[in-house]
Amino acid sequence: MSGSDDTSGRRGEGVVRPLRPYVDPPEEDEPATGSASAPVDASAPGTAASATAAAAGPGPVGEPVRRSLSVRPFLVTAGRTTDADRLPLETQVVTTAAGLDALPSLTFEQHDIVAACREPLSLAELAARLQHHLNVVRVLAGDLRSAGHLTVHAPQADAAHDLSVLRRVIDGLRAVPDSRGLTRDNNRPA
Amino acid sequence: MTTTALPNPSASGAGRPPLPVKMVIAGGFGVGKTTTVASISEIDPLTTEASITEVAAGVDDLTHTPHKTTTTVAMDFGVITLDPTLKLYLFGTPGQDRFGFMWDDLVAGALGGLVIVDTRRLDDCFAAVDYFENKGLPFAVGINVFDGNLDHDLDEVRWALDIPDSVPLVLFDARERGSVRDALLVVLELALQRAEEE
Repeated sequence: MSGSDDTSGRRGEGVVRPLRPYVDPPEEDEPATGSASAPVDASAPGTAASATAAAAGPGPVGEPVRRSLSVRPFLVTAGRTTDADRLPLETQVVTTAAGLDALPSLTFEQHDIVAACREPLSLAELAARLQHHLNVVRVLAGDLRSAGHLTVHAPQADAAHDLSVLRRVIDGLRAVPDSRGLTRDNNRPA
Repeated sequence: MTTTALPNPSASGAGRPPLPVKMVIAGGFGVGKTTTVASISEIDPLTTEASITEVAAGVDDLTHTPHKTTTTVAMDFGVITLDPTLKLYLFGTPGQDRFGFMWDDLVAGALGGLVIVDTRRLDDCFAAVDYFENKGLPFAVGINVFDGNLDHDLDEVRWALDIPDSVPLVLFDARERGSVRDALLVVLELALQRAEEE
């Protein structure tokens, strides 16, 4: 997997960078892994969907995509497809004061993330709002956290086995009114 | 895998964000997963692209090591703010029925799952049932009665799905918020019961 991504990063230097001058050069970020690795995994050519194929495969930049995204999604991450922590989808991300101060100096994608997270947002919401692949947001959020521009609050790992969390969720959900305004417990208008 | 105490490089001025929890809504294509999420979510369901691992469980290669590839799929989700400190996310699994999928990303840390079934196409949900059973995730099977047909024999459905009595089977209407809420509560109560027994 990383082999193909790095291929993408290196291709980015030659082919796409002229179109996107603000993209970080990939070489400082990924010194080791990109050099000798095999190209795209040739054993599964037909199965990857569009974005993966666009990131990894030899498809041209102008390949039709569903959204307005005009570049391969993982270009902005220098080819990295996931961060080391593999943050869960529901991880909450919040901008720091330092992040707000740094807004003018950030790249477009980083700027969008930092600007959007003045209120806590999950990685999934962030990806949907900014129309990025989830793993693109994961990587960029990881970078921004390292730079001190975001705080990242991973969910409680054992929430599914935490009685108090489960009871709070049940109580909270019971209080959600149905379309007639009735809650689960008392069938009275909420 | 996931760290709970992530280092925060700088103290955030904002208060601590709400605790996020999640549930997974699964089922075959077109059974009403997105409708279910939309009925109860406080935001219009959002769609994001995510990667899942696809296990090619075709007729030919079950005898061999399953061939896995990563596929980018569109995934719908919604959110319910239960209180200022607690947010419930509902993630709909990408609707596919011909392959086995590994939704590890979705399921890791989930409180439970709801497998939605259309009784006209029961086999569409087998992959989800298998997956949740395999993962040990508390789940219920919800028969979506969006066709208005409440005339299902639950015992027959249970037999056809080959699920044990320990898996709740509920009738619900994906378009009705209260009905979705109650189906989710069945899952959560099962999860609570299991956690209490641990």
